[in-house]
Amino acid sequence: MGTVAPRIRVVLLAAASLVIASVPFLTDDRYLLKILTFVGLNAIVVAGLALLLGFAGQISMGHAAFFGLGAYTSAYLTTAHEVPWLLAVAAGTLLAATGGLLLALPSLRLKGHYLAMATLGFNEIMSVLFVEMRGITGGNDGLSGIPFPSIGSLVIDSPAAIYILVWAVAALAFVGAANLVRTRPGRAMRALHGSELGALASGVNTVGLKVQVFAVSAALAGLAGALYAHSVGFISPSQFSLEFSILLVAMVVVGGTGSLTGPFIAAVALTLLQYVHALIPGLSKDAAALIQDWEVDISGLVMILTVIFVPGGLAAFLKRRRSGAGVEGEIA
Amino acid sequence: MGSAELLQFAVAGLKNGSIYALVALGFTLVFGSTGIINFAQGEFFMLGGMLAVFFVKLGLPLPLAVVAGVLATAVVGLAFERVALRPRRDSGPLALIIITIGGSMVLRSLSRHAFGGNELSLPAFTEGPSIVVAGAAIERQALWVWGLTIVAVAGLSWLYSKTKFGRSMRACSLSHEASRLMGIDTARIVMVSFGLAAVLGALAGVVVAPLTQTSFNVGARIGLKGFAAAILGGLGNPIAAVVGGLALGLVESMSIAFISSTYKDVIALVLLLVVLFVRPEGILGRATREKV
Amino acid sequence: MGRKALAIAMATVLCVAGLTLGGCSDESGSDSSGLEPYKIGVVVSLTGSYSGLGVPEKRAIELEAEMLNEAGGINGRMVELFFEDDATDAAKAAAAATSLIEREDVIAIIGATGTGQTMAMRTDIDRAAVPQVSMAGGSVVTADFDELVFQTPWPNRVVVPFTLKALAAKGITRIALISDSGGYGADGHDVVLASAAAAGVEIVADETFNLGDTDMTAQLTKMRSQSPDAVLMWTAGSEAAIVAKNMQQLGLDVPLVGSPGNGRVEFLDGAGSAADGFSFAAGKILLPEAYGEGSEAFTVATEFIDRYTERYGTAPDIFAGHAYDAFLIIADALGRVDGDVTPAALRDAIEATDGLIGVGGTFSYSADDHNGLSETDLVMYRVDGGQWVLDE
Repeated sequence: MGTVAPRIRVVLLAAASLVIASVPFLTDDRYLLKILTFVGLNAIVVAGLALLLGFAGQISMGHAAFFGLGAYTSAYLTTAHEVPWLLAVAAGTLLAATGGLLLALPSLRLKGHYLAMATLGFNEIMSVLFVEMRGITGGNDGLSGIPFPSIGSLVIDSPAAIYILVWAVAALAFVGAANLVRTRPGRAMRALHGSELGALASGVNTVGLKVQVFAVSAALAGLAGALYAHSVGFISPSQFSLEFSILLVAMVVVGGTGSLTGPFIAAVALTLLQYVHALIPGLSKDAAALIQDWEVDISGLVMILTVIFVPGGLAAFLKRRRSGAGVEGEIA
Repeated sequence: MGSAELLQFAVAGLKNGSIYALVALGFTLVFGSTGIINFAQGEFFMLGGMLAVFFVKLGLPLPLAVVAGVLATAVVGLAFERVALRPRRDSGPLALIIITIGGSMVLRSLSRHAFGGNELSLPAFTEGPSIVVAGAAIERQALWVWGLTIVAVAGLSWLYSKTKFGRSMRACSLSHEASRLMGIDTARIVMVSFGLAAVLGALAGVVVAPLTQTSFNVGARIGLKGFAAAILGGLGNPIAAVVGGLALGLVESMSIAFISSTYKDVIALVLLLVVLFVRPEGILGRATREKV
Repeated sequence: MGRKALAIAMATVLCVAGLTLGGCSDESGSDSSGLEPYKIGVVVSLTGSYSGLGVPEKRAIELEAEMLNEAGGINGRMVELFFEDDATDAAKAAAAATSLIEREDVIAIIGATGTGQTMAMRTDIDRAAVPQVSMAGGSVVTADFDELVFQTPWPNRVVVPFTLKALAAKGITRIALISDSGGYGADGHDVVLASAAAAGVEIVADETFNLGDTDMTAQLTKMRSQSPDAVLMWTAGSEAAIVAKNMQQLGLDVPLVGSPGNGRVEFLDGAGSAADGFSFAAGKILLPEAYGEGSEAFTVATEFIDRYTERYGTAPDIFAGHAYDAFLIIADALGRVDGDVTPAALRDAIEATDGLIGVGGTFSYSADDHNGLSETDLVMYRVDGGQWVLDE
């Protein structure tokens, strides 16, 4: 894909993978590993959302709800019914996918802002249900004591091991997404993004394809949510709010729609920005407190400035604009 | 249930609904000229109330403080458009929406830096006991909410249908390029529509603050309600925004009355989704055909 | 190329951030004696929706630590505080706990402001076996028992029965309940339903609203048809003032009774004349004379109130009081540890807290009570002419 010399891409990709893979061997700072695990989790969701928004041109402002669906399903099954971890995560992923399918079927005839509203409404509805279905979710008090990931007798409880698990899944998600984009359904998706009527005319089953992409994307969010629940051990409704959904969309757009690399970088950057006070070495306590006080402003400004000064998103820096097809997403 | 009670539920619904409608009008105005959803609209609502409180604390009499709060918010709206949105006005809507999201984060946080994290109070515009009509009690401030809604929707309808400016705005919403070719100054139109949206949002925030108090984080929730109202009615039309707002308010209060207060938001949202699935462009929206 | 420069700058920041391996090597411990200071972590919500609560909490703890250090510290050792803002976000609270434990090596954590944030820290608290003193009021904090976790606010399971009994004593037995659907309201709601019968009252209406709602007349109209003796409201935010004003608007002329969360000047400001006659149970910090002038508790409370008011220009609210108590409990326990001060020894000392006079009440922890307050720490207040007075 694209016109950049494949060699440079491969080198960059290898370098990035190496850096990510070497982190647990370079540090045993639990805090850093925890934050970087959060980064990996967000990256998994963003991989799916980038497919949906960037390639299929469909917006979802409800991905935090799918994330929550995966998290609650897996947490509930492991805590209340002692279901094996792998099965519980699979169930969470599957339920999120099913939710995505059920939402997508009626919603995807909606366009642009109307689709945004429908998905956003879904997120709000789920937020209320997460609070009110207390028997399962624990209500506002949340669910605590969620066990660490385990396969058979192998318990993945060290921060380094959880980090490796999450990033392995993230790598798989991106490799899978990249392959999907390159294959026939991927080309069909891009056709869909260009013009739905055009895609329809060239024999693409637009509705079926959109629904499938939506379900895949919801499944990835659910998978990330399930992993999240088991890596932090506690979940509560406010973590799956609309605000998170909006941040996820911002990651994809800031990264550049029509790309996977750009949204990945944006996911890394926008997640780390929320913890920047603790990641800059040698800061005095006062300086760290000051930065922490302004972290929301900084995130907002970075979003604005990137969109203004980097048309086409961060992806545009890494590769020349694809000829022809616009890089910018058109959702209206 | 007596008719007085039913009327009281309707009053509650219409009061909340008018608040939603005022915010929805702001969404519709910006959508009308730019085709985007301004996620910072709720923050204009917040700023209006917070700044009015600030000016009252400075010692300005209430009417002056209200005007000053609204004008200051308008300046913020204009500046936001000029500085953050205009450089990318030819981009697709997604990029612009993300700019408004970033803007809402910054505005909310700046407000907390300036005014703190607690809720602040604004005095009622006209003091006095509530007015009882056919057994239903109406707060005086609610009359201000309704009055403002009527003035706003009448003014906007007039602007859209009777003035050259309004027609230019509508042209803008269809195509910026074509409008420019026709000699319309699209940059000015967009900027003015942002200014007007900020004024509307701030007015809503100011008129609601005496009822509910205000704080730095009231914008997100009211923004969501306003957006839902604008979508329910159908984007781009002031009357539709009001219809959407009132419908949303009434559904909520009737849900409390007859079903469940816990699930009122769920009921309203499910109804909204059903409406969208049946009429994908909202109650009064017109279907647009995709350009090939 | 401005854009290129920007990109390079952003990439640099990212790399630096991403590759940070060490922590903040900060050597600002103020030890004059040459002994290591006691490191205490504090997690509060300084931003996000609880910032109105977290800021006074931070202020109170900062003030008290400063005073303690000026007086020579504890056992000749200073106290060093490490503040973290959880931004009213559970994930950030969990990360903050990790940071405090791993990077700063704190021996105890005060926090968090909110119940969800408090619970989110538990995984780390348990792993590192560091004691935690929470300023959040949710029942779950100590009901979901953990030997490391203590809390300072008056819990709903103590406040609710006290309030209901006070109502029953006045002959108010038909009660309409209105509560928010958030953590504080839902918790109170459940306790009210569970303890109504024992207190001899009947809940004749049960309505909720969401945080951020702008009008509750629909709920109140529905309640009115049940002709209750009083409306009991369980919520802490700005919605409380709306309920009071809506009752006035509707002419619903029965007493409105609230919760400790309404002991805030913001409520009085917001409700105005509608607050007159409003009553609620809370600790004695709002009016220390309730302790009896001249008593030790009175002195403790008034001294704190004066000190805080002088420094910050406003009187401390109940949240500042909860924070004061949390710090006091740890400082007191530190002074009682024999030998090496380890987190485990500190935990044991905290659990042995007995008859410690704070501003929220007198704390006595035990192996199965990590809240430590009782009904005797509460009084009923009434609003009269825009001010709190003692009821009765």
